[in-house]
Amino acid sequence: MGMAVSNKQTTEAVEAIVAAANAEFSDVLSAEVRNQAGGNRKSAYVFLQVEAESWRKVAKWLKKSQAIDYCCMITGIHWPDAKDMSWQVVIHLMRFAVSNPPVSKGQVNPVPTDASKLSGKDIPVQIEVSIKLPDGRSPSVPSVADVWVGADWNEKETWDLVGIEFEGHEGMRRVLLPHDSPTGYHPLQKQHKLRYHDFNEMYDDPQGFMRKPVDIGKVK
Amino acid sequence: MAEMWISMGPQHPMTHGLWTLKVKVDGETVIDTEPDLGYIHRGVEKICEARDFTQITTYCDRLCYASANTWSHAYIYAAEDLLEVEVPERAEYIRLIAVELQRIASHLMWLGAYCPDVGNLTGMVWCLREREMMMDLLQELGGSRLHYNFPRVGGVKRDLPIGFAQRCRAKLKLFLDRIQEYEAILDESTIFLIRTQGVGYAKAAEMVNHGVSGPNIRAAGVNYDVRWAHPYSVYDEIDWEPAIERPSIKGSDCYDRYRVRVEEMVMSARMVSDALDKIPGGAETHYTSGDEAIIAKAPQRAAEGQTGFHHFEDSRGESCFYLVGGGEGRGKYPYRVSIRSPMFITLPYAAKCMIGYKVADIPAIMGSFDPCIGETDR
Repeated sequence: MGMAVSNKQTTEAVEAIVAAANAEFSDVLSAEVRNQAGGNRKSAYVFLQVEAESWRKVAKWLKKSQAIDYCCMITGIHWPDAKDMSWQVVIHLMRFAVSNPPVSKGQVNPVPTDASKLSGKDIPVQIEVSIKLPDGRSPSVPSVADVWVGADWNEKETWDLVGIEFEGHEGMRRVLLPHDSPTGYHPLQKQHKLRYHDFNEMYDDPQGFMRKPVDIGKVK
Repeated sequence: MAEMWISMGPQHPMTHGLWTLKVKVDGETVIDTEPDLGYIHRGVEKICEARDFTQITTYCDRLCYASANTWSHAYIYAAEDLLEVEVPERAEYIRLIAVELQRIASHLMWLGAYCPDVGNLTGMVWCLREREMMMDLLQELGGSRLHYNFPRVGGVKRDLPIGFAQRCRAKLKLFLDRIQEYEAILDESTIFLIRTQGVGYAKAAEMVNHGVSGPNIRAAGVNYDVRWAHPYSVYDEIDWEPAIERPSIKGSDCYDRYRVRVEEMVMSARMVSDALDKIPGGAETHYTSGDEAIIAKAPQRAAEGQTGFHHFEDSRGESCFYLVGGGEGRGKYPYRVSIRSPMFITLPYAAKCMIGYKVADIPAIMGSFDPCIGETDR
């Protein structure tokens, strides 16, 4: 009790990052404090809306001057019908309290678990970065796998399932789909439907043999 | 000596699931590795786009058979963020009990699978015996043995059954006694110590950069636990602290990763008994299903533009769900469901961890990271 990080500490740390981000990159980014609430506990996090061209610059700045040391998840979303974008990449980052615990007498000594002693850049925070891509044909964002190695396999998965290219990512390959999947086949794109009119493709017709050319585009 | 690639898996006792580890060896020494995943990719993320928010819970249960409750709860918290539901306090306590019992069961499953990896069959049967007690308790809550489908958006399916608290306390007491016996057979076994100590060193800073989380990172002395850093549920009211190891300066070895899981089981048992004491309304009260004390009303639809996410401390690390509202059926289905699997990110690092060790160390190192392929491949 009283051991866990309080929302007050988190909110202060989040506000500090938002203020710093707005001061540093006012032209290419908009940052705001948002609240996330699963169950009945609220938790503040940083929301960043970034342009694709400046994403690498922002990522390096986050890592270096804000001690964001952990890339959690990268999500690609296909928006064929949205007005202001046709693709979106959402990146979740986190700051661990201490990623390099102090060492003494040949042993690693973790910092105390009493969170009330934490301050400044030792307070863990969550960050959500959203990158909107207007290009309809070949979506592409810069890779950050050299900033956080944890982004490597996340980017592989996003390309594999959603089809978003990551510029500068070395050794891109299929990770979840079979290696001989057709080029350009990315199942989480929205033109691949689960339900056609009157039957559920997944159960009634997994191979798609019963699908007629006139059915294309008709979705129930 | 000639170098060559050998393929371990997809059917190999080391894998704990269905995947291939390609190993480049020089004699007996591993010099390069390459994991190959995707053998049981079910497309859960795509399937969820055509299911409503209640139906998705069952798919999330099936992400990991050893730790079903933690996965469905991870989803439920993200869905509650998306649908903006306030959950009754009593339901949060019941969820905590369910999740922590599941964590004990999952770690016992891991220890039970790890013991034969390093040559101790007794450990396996003992751990599976104890896991049975936890599964009986979870069965009382959820109604089935492996996939409980227990949480609901806004609360839980059922209240604690009459007499659950008493049975739970008795079983936890027995469990805490017996866990000392495991420590005795493992910590005093020369074979176990030779196989695990000084094998598979992993450095803290490197692990964080690679995206490794959960018990694996706490074994390296990093004081990080999502329950502690971003307390969700009622973890800020319960008496507990994250279980953290003090490894040597070379990093955490397989033995540290074993120790941290044992300590986490003890800590989870402590949390469950504390939650049974503190639960609002008392642990011996039983509300009927659907009572507003255990489940709140939740909206069925999420509008376009709404998003919800939740970081959750799973048994194997940090799982995360990211949901986007406004899918088919005027928002009845989510537009996109994205799942972050801790083992998907950890496996490539664990494979790198083996470089420089002998082929015989591969099962010991791989097993110590607790791989689960159901969630990895989704």
